[in-house]
Amino acid sequence: MEEYKLDCLYEACPIPLLKALKQLKKMEIGDLLIMHTDHNCSIRNVVEWTKKQGHEIDYIEIAEGEWEIYIEKVK
Amino acid sequence: MSSSKIEELKKQRTKQLRKRKNQLPYARVVTVVALLVYIVLINYNLKFSSFWIIGILMGVTMQRARFCFTAGFRDPIMVGSTSLLKAVLLAFMVSTIGFFIIQYHAVLMNPDYLLIDIPGQLKPVGVHTAFGGILFGGGMVIAGGCASGTLMRIGEGYMLQLVVLMGFIVGALIGSWHFPFWDRLLISQAPVIYFPSYFGFFPSLIIQLVSLGSLYFIADWYDKKNNIMKMM
Repeated sequence: MEEYKLDCLYEACPIPLLKALKQLKKMEIGDLLIMHTDHNCSIRNVVEWTKKQGHEIDYIEIAEGEWEIYIEKVK
Repeated sequence: MSSSKIEELKKQRTKQLRKRKNQLPYARVVTVVALLVYIVLINYNLKFSSFWIIGILMGVTMQRARFCFTAGFRDPIMVGSTSLLKAVLLAFMVSTIGFFIIQYHAVLMNPDYLLIDIPGQLKPVGVHTAFGGILFGGGMVIAGGCASGTLMRIGEGYMLQLVVLMGFIVGALIGSWHFPFWDRLLISQAPVIYFPSYFGFFPSLIIQLVSLGSLYFIADWYDKKNNIMKMM
């Protein structure tokens, strides 16, 4: 199992999601992706998209207006 | 439900985190200030006070719902998800009914109504509408927010949108500066199309609701179709 980090600070709205899509494609099943973002839209659209694809996802707020999103590639 | 790996990571990260600042005092101060402004405005100008409170409520709703018109029209194409587009369509349906009530009421009061007397913004439609839509749509996808979204994000402290706001102000100034030219050239030549004056009030309400409803079902179907396609 590998852990990947993705820095999405200061990225405008769809960029974090597009970065995550690209990274997920490169990853193996069971790998973890940690996204660091300050955009609350990413929480919404990354979480929704990832759930739709059937991957595992959760997030926590690590500071004011900064979140970490955890994604486990399932398939 | 998240997997055990994620749960473990979350626990581990939560331990490392410093305690966050409590933002409640700020919220209380801002609420009191907002209410004070409201009270002052009620005595000074009733219209402004309504704008003030409606604006605040709209901002809070948009922020809490993470509602975004830009994503509503962009995500179907970019990632094939239409949940926000469906929300926009639902909002249109609600406002259609609201406007119907307001306008029908106005017409009942005054049976020989004129088009210009109808409450609401009736504007000429033509090539300029489509052209403006394309310009606005391209701009909002690049900027990562439409007008309301940009203002709402600045309010929640997302600094990037301040740059967008500057461009927004400059663009609006330039726009209003050469608006008379376009108005003479295109806009004043185009017709104002108001469905109730062709079909009557109730039929046009039904037509609009049915078309919005079918768009909603198409959006829903598109969302599910994309889901299956990307499952492989």
